[in-house]
Amino acid sequence: MLGYILRRLVSVAFTFIAVSLIIFLMMHAVPGGPFDANDMPVSEAVRAKLMAQLGLDQPLYVQYLKYMWGVLHFDFGVPYQSPGESVLQLLSRAWVPSLVLGGLGVLIGAPLGILLGMAAALNRNSWIDYLASAVATIGLTIPVFVTSMLLILVFAVWLKWLPASGWPNPERWILPIIAYAAIPVATYARYTRSAMLDTMSRPFVTVLRAKGLSERRIVFQHVLRNSAIPLVTVFLPMFIGTATGSIFVEAMFRVPGLGAYFVSSIETRDYPLEMALMLMITFMYCIAYLLSDIVYALINPRIRVGGAE
Amino acid sequence: MALVEIADLKVSFRQYGGTIDAVRGISFTVNEGESLGIVGESGSGKSVSCSALLRLLPATAEVSATKLQLDGIDVSKARKDDLARLRGRSAAMIFQDPMTAFDPVFTIGHQITETIQAHRNVAKRDALKEAEDLLLRVEIKNASDVLNYFPHQLSGGMLQRAMIAMALSCRPKVLIADEPTTALDVTIQAQILQLIKKVQAEFGMALIMITHDLGVIAETVDRVLVMYRGEVMEEGPVQQIFDAPQHAYTKQLLASLHASFEPSRGSDSKTPALELKGLAKAYRIRRRRGLFTDYSDFHAVREVNIALPKNRIVGIVGESGSGKTTTGMMALRLTDVSRGQILVDGQDISALSAEALKPWRKKMQVVFQDSYSALDPMMTLTQTIAEPLHIHGIGSAREQEETALDWLERVGLDRTYANRYPHELSGGQRQRVAIARALVLEPDVLVADEPTSALDVTVKAQIIGLLKKLQAEMGLSILFISHDLSTVKSLTDSVVVMYRGRVVEEAPTERIFSDPQHPYTRALLDAVPATNPKLRRERTFLTAEQIAAQTPRLTTLQAGTAPHSDPQLVAIAPDHRVEAYVTN
Repeated sequence: MLGYILRRLVSVAFTFIAVSLIIFLMMHAVPGGPFDANDMPVSEAVRAKLMAQLGLDQPLYVQYLKYMWGVLHFDFGVPYQSPGESVLQLLSRAWVPSLVLGGLGVLIGAPLGILLGMAAALNRNSWIDYLASAVATIGLTIPVFVTSMLLILVFAVWLKWLPASGWPNPERWILPIIAYAAIPVATYARYTRSAMLDTMSRPFVTVLRAKGLSERRIVFQHVLRNSAIPLVTVFLPMFIGTATGSIFVEAMFRVPGLGAYFVSSIETRDYPLEMALMLMITFMYCIAYLLSDIVYALINPRIRVGGAE
Repeated sequence: MALVEIADLKVSFRQYGGTIDAVRGISFTVNEGESLGIVGESGSGKSVSCSALLRLLPATAEVSATKLQLDGIDVSKARKDDLARLRGRSAAMIFQDPMTAFDPVFTIGHQITETIQAHRNVAKRDALKEAEDLLLRVEIKNASDVLNYFPHQLSGGMLQRAMIAMALSCRPKVLIADEPTTALDVTIQAQILQLIKKVQAEFGMALIMITHDLGVIAETVDRVLVMYRGEVMEEGPVQQIFDAPQHAYTKQLLASLHASFEPSRGSDSKTPALELKGLAKAYRIRRRRGLFTDYSDFHAVREVNIALPKNRIVGIVGESGSGKTTTGMMALRLTDVSRGQILVDGQDISALSAEALKPWRKKMQVVFQDSYSALDPMMTLTQTIAEPLHIHGIGSAREQEETALDWLERVGLDRTYANRYPHELSGGQRQRVAIARALVLEPDVLVADEPTSALDVTVKAQIIGLLKKLQAEMGLSILFISHDLSTVKSLTDSVVVMYRGRVVEEAPTERIFSDPQHPYTRALLDAVPATNPKLRRERTFLTAEQIAAQTPRLTTLQAGTAPHSDPQLVAIAPDHRVEAYVTN
């Protein structure tokens, strides 16, 4: 197991280098730069000086190596759009709201989805099953900005139960969390339902019944455990996807999170921030997949314990 | 009082567009300690009836009966606590495929102890102790280790033993065995059947043996119920069923046990249609050690020499893992060859490129075991049969279709089937289509890999008859791969016995059965179930070490070859070769 984790860490390092190279090259391959005439009307001399100051006049490979050297020392540079702080400071400031809202969205949505999926699988072709598939379809097909607007319209405008937007006080979090939770609920309900139905159709479940176990024990001990194996591989990656913030949800609820920076860093050619955001996501996905593979091996004896010989 | 009493049991399944009557009013009883066999083909309702007895049928099943009683409890009215008593304590079941019958994520020990604890108030430690004793009683020697094994760490035979141990854990009054040996090799089957009989006597249980195999019936039960399409055709003591069958269907079943054999005509040509010379297959095994990888070789097939004469049928027999299928697939170049030559009509094709191989493909065709996955579900029967002609550019589209239709008739299907799809056919009909597809190119060589193993006995006999007929008509040379000795006996001219990747014996079929020389061949023959209850007997089983120890020993003079430390294939009679140690 230790060897396996080590090997995976090596491959994470390679993935990381490959992704950083691709992003760096693509970023610079797009025509234009941070100091184009229409964005920043400065004289040619000032522009040249700025470029030299930021090292943008050097050959690309030098720029890349210098940047990566900095990354190795946790120096991600200074964002062009907010020169008063370092990229790391900006990230740690802006990421908190995204992490809190997105994270809570998944942490609340996933269990709900699992419960819904279980209820659907155990009551196949009943109204619960149809309700679950309706919820799943709605959650997956209606875009999140539409859900957000509907939530604001119903709970903030009509019923006036909750504030429509904003950040610091927790009652303002409720609506964005619900918006965030829609996708995990839908995805988990679907995955859980099909994983459980698949497990329940396997011959060993008949054997468990034939040996006189209670239906409850069969479901909670055997079926759930077997169905969980395919589910863990979806959980962590989805967590990352949501916890890095959504441009739409954050824009709708005016959350000062990370989402907006994804767009603005690309629009303003803010190279250091763009790189940092992309590397952060890459890194988190790598770790998430690594962790889910480890958990997968831990709950699946066919991987944990080899064959008899 | 009878332990099991069933009267006028009817089971039907609701499906899209109607209901299917699986069981149409059957009645039977089983007394304490009695063994009843239920024999019938797939779809005859034999399993469904017994599942109804434990209320194991899916919600789509509709069950009605004037009496459905087990151990004094009315099953159809049983409440939750009655049901818990019925399942496990009154009756325990063992199932067909032990590989899928255990929950893969829990250890064997856990699964046996949870059964014990579900029925009795026993502490975990005591339950584990009991589980270990049970494993010892089903002749698992390293019982304490096996308790901690996960199902995937055990072989099918071992798992079926563990399954029997689990069934015994609550001392059931009746053991229901639903095709308990169908998924197992013939040697393992014999061991499991003997074990079931032994524990039945030891625990004083009644036994219901559900099977499609009359051999299993002859070996195990006192009384037989013959089922066909949801009805009981015939019922009686086992000896009477075998000696004086009343019903036509029973007679047909029995006839399939004693198929006659006629040798194929052969040919004057000295060159074999197919000759494998020193053909071997080794798989690379990767073993991870931390950051590094070790490689070792697994020898699936070790340098076999097999000749298939023109216009003959040669059988390759062996248990799963013996390398018989790998050999067949290598002969067709469908699996890459590690070493050796494949001579087709004297020409080596083992190193040809894919393009150079194409004309040879026309001469060599294949039929597989699972006809359902071997046919493209999106193609009609005509399209399927005509496709090889299309690939090799033979004839116009119109002629191809005409040929396909002719072949449909030739394999015994009506022309009106032309536009049907594989799922509309029965297993036997699909296998006929697969045979037509293989033979439409008029090949010289056919490799048939267990083509009848998934079929019911009566259908099996028909397919064997069809292969025989077509072989004679076309002068085909067939390499027939099978684990089933009785099929081989009625079809092949000679037999090659494979064991652990090697050929251990080779002789004309009649000689293999009358004068087997290698201990493995003898073990294989000994394991074949009796064809009549009179021939029932106690068997002793050889371990792999005993088989190795009993390998014949010959002097250089007897063998006519130089001494060698490894066993060598030695000719001991014309056409009879056996693996033996050659010493001075």
